Amino acid sequence: MLKKMKYRVMVFMSRRMIACDEASFLISYRYDNKLGLYRWMGLKMHLLTCHLCRKYVRQIKELNLAVDRYREGCAHPDCQHHLDREAGLKIQQVVGRELNAK
Amino acid sequence: MTEGEEHILEPQHWVERYGDYLFNYAIVRVNDQEKAEDLVQETFLAGLRARDNFQGKSTERTWLISILKRKIIDTYRKQYASKESSLREYEQDISDGDFYRAEDPFRGHWLEGKGPHSHSLMPEGEIEQEELMRIIRECISRLPPNLASAFIMKMIDESGSDEICKDLGITPSNLWVMLHRARLKMRECVEVKWLR
Repeated sequence: MLKKMKYRVMVFMSRRMIACDEASFLISYRYDNKLGLYRWMGLKMHLLTCHLCRKYVRQIKELNLAVDRYREGCAHPDCQHHLDREAGLKIQQVVGRELNAK
Repeated sequence: MTEGEEHILEPQHWVERYGDYLFNYAIVRVNDQEKAEDLVQETFLAGLRARDNFQGKSTERTWLISILKRKIIDTYRKQYASKESSLREYEQDISDGDFYRAEDPFRGHWLEGKGPHSHSLMPEGEIEQEELMRIIRECISRLPPNLASAFIMKMIDESGSDEICKDLGITPSNLWVMLHRARLKMRECVEVKWLR
């Protein structure tokens, strides 16, 4: 009986509140835009009742931090990407030919 | 070189001086070794053809990077040009059948096992920079190309939204939905890799 009531309450709420797809969109959207009052309240209400989307908020924040570290790592002189030696030689030849042709 | 002095071009030294730098810049943004090598070569050749336009106000490296940036954006644009129908879909639909339920009564809720599992994306303790670089690079490379280019321009290049929309020829609505989808996929990928 209690289980059935809980299910009905969940169905009732899910029809009146924004769902996880819209909530997760707004979580991403608010990094680049200001949320209007209606959307902000919709998101807050959803987060009160959805533990998965609360985790999503935290994880997206962590993802952004990880990408920041990645970007800094890529800009570092020790970044491990190097032009392959053979490719470098080939490019040198092509550039040399173009230079001589001028 | 002192301030105010004009810079000169020395194309005979470009590959040796800037080959690695340009390659590094390109591969982070296109995630494909062969494509990145081609872009470096095209940049040098375009630089040679346009060298009469070099005014000496910036360094050689800055000038070459500006050429490379345009080449990378051209690559992204080509990807978008072939994805017109899917762009229309992005404009309309924030949902993604891979992540959310499509049927009532819980339409739009996380699919079983597709929502976040762990409390934190980061494992406990300090993550090695090398490991982090590997995971992020691998996850970006798994993004569909059009999502990857929007994500890279926003998150790696930190370009403004107006600039991205203009460069890629997309609307702001496209961009927000694409960034949302890219974050969805990145989050899942990073979580799976760190939990493994």
